[in-house]
Amino acid sequence: MADAPSVLDAKGKDLRAASTELKSMLAKDSVIVRNSSHLHGLCGGLKSGTIVIEGEGGDYLGVVNAGAVIEMNGDAGKYVADNMTAGTVIVAGDAEYGAAQYCYGGTVVVKGNAGDFTATMNKGATILVGGCVGDEAATYMVAGDVIIVGDAGENLGNYLIRGNIYIQGDWASLGHNCAVVDMGAEDVQKLEALLKKHGLAADAKAFRKIAPLSDKPFYSH
Amino acid sequence: MSTVGAFCVTLNKDQCINSKMPGKCATCVEICPYGVYGLNGENEVVVQNYNACVGCRLCAEFCPENAIRINPAESELVSRYPWTLGTIEEIHHKALTGSYGLRGFGTMGRTPHFDTIVVVPSQLSSPSPRDKYREECNMQVVIGEETCEKPIRLQYPFIFPAMSYGALSKEAKLALAIAAARTGILTNTGEGGVVEEEPYFANGFEKPERKRKAWEPGGYLAVQWSTGRWGVSADYLNAGDAVEVKIGQGAKPGMGGHLLGEKVTEDVARIRGIPVGSDALSPCRYYDVLTLEDVKKQVEFLRDITNYEIPIWMKLGPSRPYEDVKAAALAGVDAISIDGLVGGTGCSPEVVTQGVGIPTIALIGPAVRALKDLGVHRKVKLFALGGIRGGLDAYKAMAMGADGVGFGSAAEIAMGCRGCMACHQGNCPYGITSQNPKMRERLDPEEIGQRLANFINASAEELKILTMLSGHSDVGELSEEDLRALDVDTAAITGLKLVGYERPLPWWENGHGD
Repeated sequence: MADAPSVLDAKGKDLRAASTELKSMLAKDSVIVRNSSHLHGLCGGLKSGTIVIEGEGGDYLGVVNAGAVIEMNGDAGKYVADNMTAGTVIVAGDAEYGAAQYCYGGTVVVKGNAGDFTATMNKGATILVGGCVGDEAATYMVAGDVIIVGDAGENLGNYLIRGNIYIQGDWASLGHNCAVVDMGAEDVQKLEALLKKHGLAADAKAFRKIAPLSDKPFYSH
Repeated sequence: MSTVGAFCVTLNKDQCINSKMPGKCATCVEICPYGVYGLNGENEVVVQNYNACVGCRLCAEFCPENAIRINPAESELVSRYPWTLGTIEEIHHKALTGSYGLRGFGTMGRTPHFDTIVVVPSQLSSPSPRDKYREECNMQVVIGEETCEKPIRLQYPFIFPAMSYGALSKEAKLALAIAAARTGILTNTGEGGVVEEEPYFANGFEKPERKRKAWEPGGYLAVQWSTGRWGVSADYLNAGDAVEVKIGQGAKPGMGGHLLGEKVTEDVARIRGIPVGSDALSPCRYYDVLTLEDVKKQVEFLRDITNYEIPIWMKLGPSRPYEDVKAAALAGVDAISIDGLVGGTGCSPEVVTQGVGIPTIALIGPAVRALKDLGVHRKVKLFALGGIRGGLDAYKAMAMGADGVGFGSAAEIAMGCRGCMACHQGNCPYGITSQNPKMRERLDPEEIGQRLANFINASAEELKILTMLSGHSDVGELSEEDLRALDVDTAAITGLKLVGYERPLPWWENGHGD
C-alpha cells in the first residue's frame, strides 16, 4: 500500500461515477472521499478496503458493507451502515435516524449521538454509541451487542429477542420483553476492551445490562 | 382458523385391507399429519378424529383399495348465510382462545375475478387469426433491456412470485427453481434468504461449478430485499439475476411476512438469524425508509451494489394502484409486480386475507394508466399476480395491459397442493409448506419440478392459442379490444366494453372515468 491515500472528490458526480472511481482506487490504495454528502448508498457492499469520508456523509453510507473499514470524520446521514454483514464503520460525529439497522455482523461506532431507531433489528453486529440514542433503539434485535454510553429515549429494546443492550446512562422507558439483568465479569471485560479499543470515555462497571425476558416473546395472535 | 367438521371422512370397511387383515396396511394412519386415523385394540384402522380433517385428500389418494371418501360437509349449512359453518367456527375459536384466526393459502369465496371477462377472437372485421400449429408467436418478455447489462429474457411471460424458504420447504423451493430452469422463466427467493442450491438450480445447473446445464434452457432467480431483511448480504444480492424490493403482498398488504415458530427449524433459523422456534414477524414497513425519496435511494444503491448489471423489481400489494405504481416507476425500477386480493400466503390473519385489498382485475387498469401517464408502459414491465390460474387468466391480464403474470398458488397446486388452507400449521401433507422432515421427504424436487414445468408449458400453450386466435403473433400486442366484460359490474370496474353493448360504459367513454 502506498504512503499517501488516493483522494476522491465526489463533487458533481453521481453515485455510479463516484462508486466506479472509488472501487478502482480501492484496488490499489486506501481512499479519502470528499464532498460526498449528496451521494446515498456510497461504499455499498464493499468487501475490503479502507475509506475515510471527510465532512458530512449522505444516507445509507456503507449499506450491506461486507468487510470494508469506513471512517467518517464528520456527521453521518440517515441509516449509516445499513444491513452491514462485516467490517467496521466509525462515525466521529453524530448519526441521524436509523443508524446501524438490520446489521448481521461487524462493528459500528458512533462517537456522538445517534437518532431514533438506532440498531433496529440488529442480527449480530456490535454497535457502540458514545453519546445518547433516540427512541426505539435496538427494537426487534435478534442477536449482537448494543452499547450506549449516554441516555436512551422511549421503548429501548422493544421486542428484544436475543442479544444484549449495555447502557451507562438512563432510559425514558424500556420496551416489551426486556429485563435488566446483572452484569457479569465477562460483560465488564468485554465492555472495557471495546470502549478502550474505540477510545470512548466511559466506566465499564457503571453500565447496566438489558437482556430479553424470553427468546419467544408473546405476540397477540 | 380451525376447520372443525368441514369434511366427512368415510372409511369403507368392506374395501379396507386392514379390516380383513389387521396390521397389513396402515397407510392412512401413517400419512395423515392431523391424526384423523388410528388403530384400535385389534389393530384395525378406525377414523378416530373426524373433526381434524382439513380436506387435503392425501389419504384417499394413497389408499391402495380406494376405501376412503372425503366429502365437504359444509354445503348443508351454506344456506344459513351469514351464519355459515365457517363463521360459527370462527366465532367459537375467538370465544375459546381469545385470539383471532390465522390461516394459509389465500382468499376464499367470490370476489370479482377474471371469470366474467371473455376473449374476442378474430373474424372478418379484425386482423385474421394466426395459425397456432404452423405459425410463430413471440412469447418472450425482456426486463431491463435498456437499463441493465444483464437483462432478463423470459421465455414465457410468467414468473413464480416470492414465496419464502420457511413458508415453503427447501424441496418446494428447489422444485420451483428447477421448473424455472426447465421453462426459462423466473423464480424468487422470497424474504427468507436464499437456499444454497437455488441460484445455480434456477440458472439450469445441477452443480455450483456451473459447467453443464442439467435443465435447458435455464431460468432466472430474483432475490428479495424485504422489510425483515432475513439473510440479506452483499453476496446474497449478487446471487440472483434480479433484486425484488418488496413493499407488500396481496394476501396481507400493510403487514409483513408472518412465519410462525412451528416452521422455524434449525436451518430456517440459521438463514434468518433468529432463535429456533421463535415467530418471525417481519416489520410491516422498512425501518430504513421514511419517505418516497428513500425508496428511490434504495433502488439506486441496489443497482450500485449489483454493479448496474441486473434488473431491480418492485412488488406492491393491492392498495391504490395508480398512485403506488406511479411511485414505484418514479423510483426507477425495471419491473413492477402488483399482487391482488386473491394472492396467496403461508400465513395471515383471517380478516386480512378475506377483507383487505383490491381484486386483481381492478388493479391492472389503474396500474397501466399510471405507466402510460409517465410514458413508460411496456418499458417498465408490469406483472399481475393474485389468483392467476392458467393461460386464460394470463391472456386476460395481459390484454388489460400487463406484460406478464405470476403463478403462486397455482404453482403450489401444480406441486400437489389440494388447497386445504392449513399452510401456516407447517404440516403440509404434500411437503410443500412444511419444515417437518417426514412431510418434506414426500416431495422430490426433480419430479415435482417436472410437474411444475409441465404446468407452465401447458399454460403457455393456452396463452399462445388465445393470442393467435385473436389475430396476434406476439403477446405484447394484446389489448383491451381483445376482451369483453360479461356483466355490468365487470365493465364498470375494468372499463372493458360490455358484451352486446359493444362500448365501455358511458362514464368510461371520456378518458378513464377520472
